[in-house]
Amino acid sequence: MSSLIVVGISDVKIARTPGVLITYALGSCIGVCFYDKAASLGALLHIMLPDAPEKIDNVFKYADTGIAETLRKMESMGGNRNRITAKIAGGAQMFHVPGDNHLGNIGRRNSDSVKLNLLKQRIRMLGSDVGGTFARTVEFNTATGIATIRTYGQHDKDL
Amino acid sequence: MVASYEDLNELQLDAIREVASIGAGNAATALSSLLSQQVKIDVPNVTLMEYSSAIEILGGPETIACGIMVRLSGDMNGIILYLQELDFINVVLKSVFNKTVDRYDELGEMETSALIEIGNIGISSYINSLAAFARMDVQLSVPAFCINMAGAMITVPMTEIGYESNKIMLLDGNFKCGGQKVSSKLLLVPDVQSLSALLARLGVNK
Repeated sequence: MSSLIVVGISDVKIARTPGVLITYALGSCIGVCFYDKAASLGALLHIMLPDAPEKIDNVFKYADTGIAETLRKMESMGGNRNRITAKIAGGAQMFHVPGDNHLGNIGRRNSDSVKLNLLKQRIRMLGSDVGGTFARTVEFNTATGIATIRTYGQHDKDL
Repeated sequence: MVASYEDLNELQLDAIREVASIGAGNAATALSSLLSQQVKIDVPNVTLMEYSSAIEILGGPETIACGIMVRLSGDMNGIILYLQELDFINVVLKSVFNKTVDRYDELGEMETSALIEIGNIGISSYINSLAAFARMDVQLSVPAFCINMAGAMITVPMTEIGYESNKIMLLDGNFKCGGQKVSSKLLLVPDVQSLSALLARLGVNK
């Protein structure tokens, strides 16, 4: 547990094997775990919103720019996008306000955008745990490539 | 006009603190009479912080809490989030049903309804007094409820303003029941335009 690397909101961290990356309490946000086993490289990206506006303050806040930039960084560290795979978790709807679509859809819009952008970048998605009405903490072990999803009141789940 | 939260000056922050304190005081009075015991609230904090530090200050991302959320519209757009932990929940349950619980999963439908109702009354008193003071017309949505990680609930208002800002403005107040501090927090997160409108009404808009 000593080598737990914490990823904040709108943030990415890249680790060499056997680093363990963690991001806490994903609600409508999405955690994307990138893995290149041959290069012993793993990354965990925590995005908050689906698409970047014209004026970008922080590339890791948005699914499209966050995914592109994470791949670029991994490649600069010896990763190869033909080998890189991804697992995603989050995209929940924490509150349901009756008659209010705008708020509820953000989790869904995030997961749609993440999936679309992984596809555009030709990254294979090996697992996903998205949607629902509960928060998720994701712990990504770069030694095994396993992403463990922790939720409140349910058993842990491995992706 | 205030273009972003960072533009606020001391005078404006003081004015915001003042209205928040009127709102919080009214919420405390409403809760006092409902729970038939003295409920007090500290002078509210008005803080501007990065998303990740906001979560830390509110007790860490994985803390489980019960959250009641109401969306504001009209002259003020934003979200108000009322976070309650077990100690405060038990004050409510003791007063309404004369019982307490040890865990969140012991909360049944009756208990949950009571918590939503109490939360909604606290929120409405807060917003109505603030709106009356600032002469603004503010509508409140039906309350939404969830029991889960507090960190994920706080990201709900953050995503709402995420395209405008990298910081969040929190107007928060801690409650005391019968002299004891309880884990109960009211957070008001107005969007930037509403904040400008509020400051204009208070006569401190540059």
